[in-house]
Amino acid sequence: MKYDIAVIGSGMSGLMASIYLAEQGLNTAIVSRGDPICSVSSGCIDIAGTGKKTLDSINNFPEEHPYNKVGEKGISYSIQYFLNIMKEEGYDYTGNFEKNRNILTPIGKHRVTSLVPFPMKHADIGKDEAFHIISFKDIKDFFPSYIRGVFPDTSISVFNAGTHTTMGIAAKMDNKDFLSTFITWIKSQKIKQNKIGIPAVLGITKTYEIIKKLEIETGKFFFEIPTLPPSIPGIRLYRSLKSIAEKKGVSFYGSAEITDFKKEKDRIINITIKKPGRPDYVNADAFILATGSFVSGGLFLDKNIFKETVFNLPVYSPVEKEVFNQDFFKLGHPIEKSGILIDNNFNATESAYSNLFIAGSILANSETMKYQCGHGMAIATGIAAAKSAKEYLK
Amino acid sequence: MKETFENCIRCTICVENCPVFKVNPEYPGPKQAGPDAERFRLDGIETVDKWITHCTQCKRCDFACPYGVDPSKLILNAQIRYVSKHKKTIPQLLFSNFHYIARLGSFFSIITNIITSLGIIRKLFKLIGLRSDIPFPQFRFKTLQRFRKKSVKTPEYLSNNNQLKKRKVAFFHGCYLNSNAPDEGRMIIAILEHFNITVAIPNQVCCGLPALGNGDLVKAKGFAKKNSKEFAKYIEQGWDIIYSCTSCGHTLIYDYPEILDTKEGELISQNTWNLYEYLLMLKDNGELNFNFTALDKVISYHIPCHLRGRGVPYPAVIIFKEIPNLKMNIQDIDCCGFSGSYGFKEKNKETTDTLGRIAVESLEECKPDIIISDCGACRMQISNFTETQIIDPIQVIFDALEL
Repeated sequence: MKYDIAVIGSGMSGLMASIYLAEQGLNTAIVSRGDPICSVSSGCIDIAGTGKKTLDSINNFPEEHPYNKVGEKGISYSIQYFLNIMKEEGYDYTGNFEKNRNILTPIGKHRVTSLVPFPMKHADIGKDEAFHIISFKDIKDFFPSYIRGVFPDTSISVFNAGTHTTMGIAAKMDNKDFLSTFITWIKSQKIKQNKIGIPAVLGITKTYEIIKKLEIETGKFFFEIPTLPPSIPGIRLYRSLKSIAEKKGVSFYGSAEITDFKKEKDRIINITIKKPGRPDYVNADAFILATGSFVSGGLFLDKNIFKETVFNLPVYSPVEKEVFNQDFFKLGHPIEKSGILIDNNFNATESAYSNLFIAGSILANSETMKYQCGHGMAIATGIAAAKSAKEYLK
Repeated sequence: MKETFENCIRCTICVENCPVFKVNPEYPGPKQAGPDAERFRLDGIETVDKWITHCTQCKRCDFACPYGVDPSKLILNAQIRYVSKHKKTIPQLLFSNFHYIARLGSFFSIITNIITSLGIIRKLFKLIGLRSDIPFPQFRFKTLQRFRKKSVKTPEYLSNNNQLKKRKVAFFHGCYLNSNAPDEGRMIIAILEHFNITVAIPNQVCCGLPALGNGDLVKAKGFAKKNSKEFAKYIEQGWDIIYSCTSCGHTLIYDYPEILDTKEGELISQNTWNLYEYLLMLKDNGELNFNFTALDKVISYHIPCHLRGRGVPYPAVIIFKEIPNLKMNIQDIDCCGFSGSYGFKEKNKETTDTLGRIAVESLEECKPDIIISDCGACRMQISNFTETQIIDPIQVIFDALEL
């Protein structure tokens, strides 16, 4: 099949890029090896740093950080774009990207982030604020006593949902009859506090209706607390973005291992997807590479040799040897700087391909862990690379 | 980068995509049933118990895994080992041999259809572990195989006559289309011939999937061997294989060269096409034009898991975009939970029904005039939960072509 643009990778940056391009009327395909890491994330959008103001942090980022290629205006535009499409899809995000906020975690500590899905709107718990926790019988990996350790006045009640996994409970919540039983039970608990924290299981698809009903019938405010994977807010984020992309006409190639590509002078012509049966060929006028870093498989380290796994692009890394030294698990290990260097057009600087644009955490010097800018940087560079690709196609 | 289960980093993405894990607390999900347990199995410890049969083999985990692990294949092998070590249940025996049941059922269709709807027989069903509360598929006497003898010429005949068109396809219809839904099969033949394609219906048996799914690897291999040998003859003479049943297709493409390991498996796998993929390819080559007439309808399309697992943009959806006025909603998030013989077993009733209700609810959100699905089993399941008409996508194309 022939497309205007093929985006490789279906994570945050790849999805955002493809949604933007399809909306511009371009025939767009996504080629992906599997579901992305954002589907196991907390669903929150980190923009930058842990200080009060995200832009102050970004101003202090090193010059080579990809955010500086996007610029403040570009970041603001892309985040607003993300907020708009999510609102349209019915899975609203709350917050101002210039500011950071706190959410409560299952161990009772706060985590700093910037934009949160609407079920976490009330998760910014003040130091002396009173709240109640609802947990579930036998639920895996959620121990409300951790939270009570930090907030001693917290009261806890436990509901028997008849199943013990976050997926199972969330699926049941989508069922009207189950929700009614749950609400009746909450009323019987005579909870005094105005805020109720609950592990993130308030429905997989009907979250909006569920929270609305809970708040109307009990008169309380509810906030979700993210859990270990399966992470329901992560699933909602990924599935919402994928559904937006599908509605805008993006074609999906899944379970797709790219084994080869064809080039002509300085352009990539097509990629080969190998799977049982005939291989698929995806032809396009431009390509966006958004395959992620080491964990997502965009980069691969083989005996101190860094590789980019699709086009074999040159990989920048300050690490020379002894990657697995004793500081390996410390934040700020130089391996985090590894990736593809880009110019202002989001083309790889040392590669010869004029129709290949790079986005997301595969970018060199992004250091998303150290700077706490994961999803935010993915959104901003995804849109920026898409804009460059669109310019190129004109 | 060798793609083995050792690539699993336990990210849980497969679990997020598992329909059974979502609704059945007894099933630990593909991560534990697949790569986790496989590490023990390597040491010769069989970490399998009855729960392994909860897996429906929908393959959603394989499709979701970003690290190239195929949990469903590990689970399938464990299921086969489990079944081989235990006495087969009657439903397992029945569905392994569904091919013969379908052939007999069609031949004696008038009798079988009455018998399978009798109250006393339904009670017997329940006694042997089959569900008695859902209708058993009705068999048709005029199967595609019987139809072929009259109207569609055999390849031998065609080879000796100069009637062969540029494109020649051998149709793998599978059991359901042959014995239970031959009308849809005839529509497929009519549409292919409308586009100037020669169609043959080779002698064929069951693709082998029901036997595989019920733990009978030997029987499945037997079926696969027979089909491979027959269809390879066509491929060697320049014919393409097409299928409409997405599960048969998945088996031909994915399982014939691998677990069913037939001599011609790779050849079959390379030359087998989904019906709609084939039509699209011809359109891309400029060999056909659809010229559809308008259909003022809202359609909800339930994507069968085994079509989703192909990993290509849904081919029928691309074709439907050319039908004027047609509004379409795609539902590929929720598995209908039926999974062929799985849904007929009493032990799976709760899992199957809960998933079915979730899927149908999301299908009906757009208030469709009709629901469509490629898979006969999906259609059977969906019809248990809704009054909305549910049909094969081919019927929509048939109508839009005004044939």
